[in-house]
Amino acid sequence: MLEVLGLTKYFSSGLIRKRYLRAVDDVSFKIEKGKTLGLVGESGCGKTTIGRLILRLTKPTGGKVLFDGIDLFALNRRELLAIRPRIQMIFQDPDSSLNPRMKIGTSIAEPLKLHGTIPKAKRGQRIRELIETVGLNPEHVNRYPYQLSGGQNQRVVLARILAMNPDLIIADEPTSSLDVSVQAQILNLMKDLQKKFDHTYLFVSHDLDVVRIMADRIAVMYLGRLVEIGETGDIYDCAKHPYTQALLSAATVDGGKERIVLKGETSSPIDMPAGCRFHTRCPRKRERCTIEEPELVEVGRDHYVACHLV
Amino acid sequence: MTLLRISDLKTQFPTPDGIVRAVDTIDLSIGERETLGLIGETGCGKTVLGLTLMRLLQSSTKTEGTIIYKGTNLLKISEAEMRRIRGEEIAMILQNPTTSLNPVMRVGGQIAEAIRLHQGLSKRDAKEKAIEMLDAVRIPSPSIRVNEYPHEFSGGMKQRVMIAMGLACNPSLIIADEPTKGLDVTIKSQIMKLLKEVTEERAMLIITHDLGVARELCDRIALMYAGELVEYATTGEIFEDPLHPYTRGFLGSLPSNGLVPIPGMSPSLINLPDGCRFHPRCGHATELCRRKHPDMIEIEDGHFVRCFHA
Ligand SMILES: Nc1ncnc2c1ncn2[C@@H]1O[C@H](COP(=O)(O)OP(=O)(O)OP(=O)(O)O)[C@@H](O)[C@H]1O
Ligand SMILES: Nc1ncnc2c1ncn2[C@@H]1O[C@H](COP(=O)(O)OP(=O)(O)OP(=O)(O)O)[C@@H](O)[C@H]1O
Ligand code: SF4
Ligand code: SF4
Ligand SMILES: [Mg+2]
Ligand SMILES: [Mg+2]
Repeated sequence: MLEVLGLTKYFSSGLIRKRYLRAVDDVSFKIEKGKTLGLVGESGCGKTTIGRLILRLTKPTGGKVLFDGIDLFALNRRELLAIRPRIQMIFQDPDSSLNPRMKIGTSIAEPLKLHGTIPKAKRGQRIRELIETVGLNPEHVNRYPYQLSGGQNQRVVLARILAMNPDLIIADEPTSSLDVSVQAQILNLMKDLQKKFDHTYLFVSHDLDVVRIMADRIAVMYLGRLVEIGETGDIYDCAKHPYTQALLSAATVDGGKERIVLKGETSSPIDMPAGCRFHTRCPRKRERCTIEEPELVEVGRDHYVACHLV
Repeated sequence: MTLLRISDLKTQFPTPDGIVRAVDTIDLSIGERETLGLIGETGCGKTVLGLTLMRLLQSSTKTEGTIIYKGTNLLKISEAEMRRIRGEEIAMILQNPTTSLNPVMRVGGQIAEAIRLHQGLSKRDAKEKAIEMLDAVRIPSPSIRVNEYPHEFSGGMKQRVMIAMGLACNPSLIIADEPTKGLDVTIKSQIMKLLKEVTEERAMLIITHDLGVARELCDRIALMYAGELVEYATTGEIFEDPLHPYTRGFLGSLPSNGLVPIPGMSPSLINLPDGCRFHPRCGHATELCRRKHPDMIEIEDGHFVRCFHA
């Protein structure tokens, strides 16, 4: 369904002495139709950039994205426009992905109008249905985004995406503004719709409890690189990469495993350390780690890790 | 010592569909070195409460009640005086970083402006301080990043810039609206440590959906539902011995307990349910609950609940 191959994005800055910020560096993964890949990693490690690259909102430095076998980076504008309704992204920041001068109802109606899937007479009905599915009230339809709360806007964005019923949904922190109860409602809804329509999800989240419930497979990123990828159960039960282990241990609320506290600072993607990017904080680093960058190797069925120790 | 005392506070928005009663008769106080948590359903009025305290709502809004800060009623002072309070006394970390940051101004400039306005530092010293603040919120390469624009920052990095700006003017009270939204577990724990240090010498009202954050940072917690407070107690009491059916349902819907939302929908704030506002969704509702609106009563020393059957 979705195949990402060697995806790379360097942002350059500085006019005279050019600096490169390596936001995404040679990332590859696959998501099968109807499945969910959870994408986790530190703030600033490149998750949103991956989503934007797939949507072609950011120009790639290198790599390929195949969607149903179609090379997205090779499409011309017209072809891209034709395929766009099938790939949608729920942006991390709901307020800025809604038009501030457009009423909520109009915002949701827009994709229905654009794709003409539903006759005009039935649109009002469909909008009310969508509003209700995401747990909003009919009274919200006539308001502008600034007149709704953060979590209400987040659900408007979701309703808009559902109106388009795309095949691939890139969900970037889709429930970050919701309370736990409404979050549970929305996650259940996303799972139900996935079953019904065979949606494929790339699901970005910082909440490891949520990822565990939602994802079939999990990809862990650190400073632009994939460091571990595997089935959800394998990642939670036998994570192999020291960063994944630290991440999971930091998330355990109380009892259970001991917390691994990471010392040192995250390195900067502008000034990348040599060797393994995690070596500045890795509790298990060896000399080799400061010289040679580890490659992803298969450590179990469909479980890959980039670390010299495995 | 009480720093802030809110009594009978009401905030209402007139809309074509009716009056939205977003904040409805709230009584609350915050001590000089207290951290108070405000949690509750998305759309229940938390942000509006914060914005009311800061007097940042549009002029068509109707506000009633009193907000006594250090002996002065903030609802009665002039706009000029209020501006001084906003600059020197009370800072609000806004919920939405993207729409709150100025897109055409460098990140460092925005933090420096907040500092310069209130501490009378030279331009150069203010920039130094801005770099220091970025470092404090764990942005790598702060001396390079200080010159970048908001769009060059990731979601979680912008969130941390908001925190840096909130802390920059050294306020006596910080209203932090979802300060840890979009942060991964490792950076979140570092930010919590920073906030903990900061609150040793000042008061904070922290609005959050992250119950881990509330538990770790707050002295007391207020639960809000449909515009009013429904439970108010020490953090320990709220988590160990919650009394209100809403609080119980809320804590039960944590993702680590599976995905079990509170049944039913959030009520309309235009047509609020009669009697107890939670009764349409409450498993313990009786005839009395449907008819009469419960008052907030002190059930145990310092533990307040709005429920007939708690
Ligand atoms: N337009 C841009 N110009 C320059 N740098 C950028 C741009 N967009 C992103 N970056 C940088 O690329 C890196 C990755 O950013 P990205 O938004 O992908 O992170 P993320 O993993 O989504 O983080 P978060 O969890 O905080 O949202 C960051 O260092 C960020 O500052
Ligand atoms: N300007 C406005 N006009 C009309 N209604 C408004 C306005 N601003 C907010 N509201 C409504 O007031 C209620 C409270 O909004 P508020 O932003 O305080 O919610 P919140 O508790 O912060 O929610 P969240 O957790 O989603 O951020 C919401 O139901 C919202 O729709
Ligand atoms: S390669 Fe070395 S530094 Fe990197 S994660 Fe493995 S042990 Fe740690
Ligand atoms: S007053 Fe009645 S309806 Fe309201 S929370 Fe208590 S038991 Fe439930
Ligand atoms: Mg992001
Ligand atoms: Mg809010």
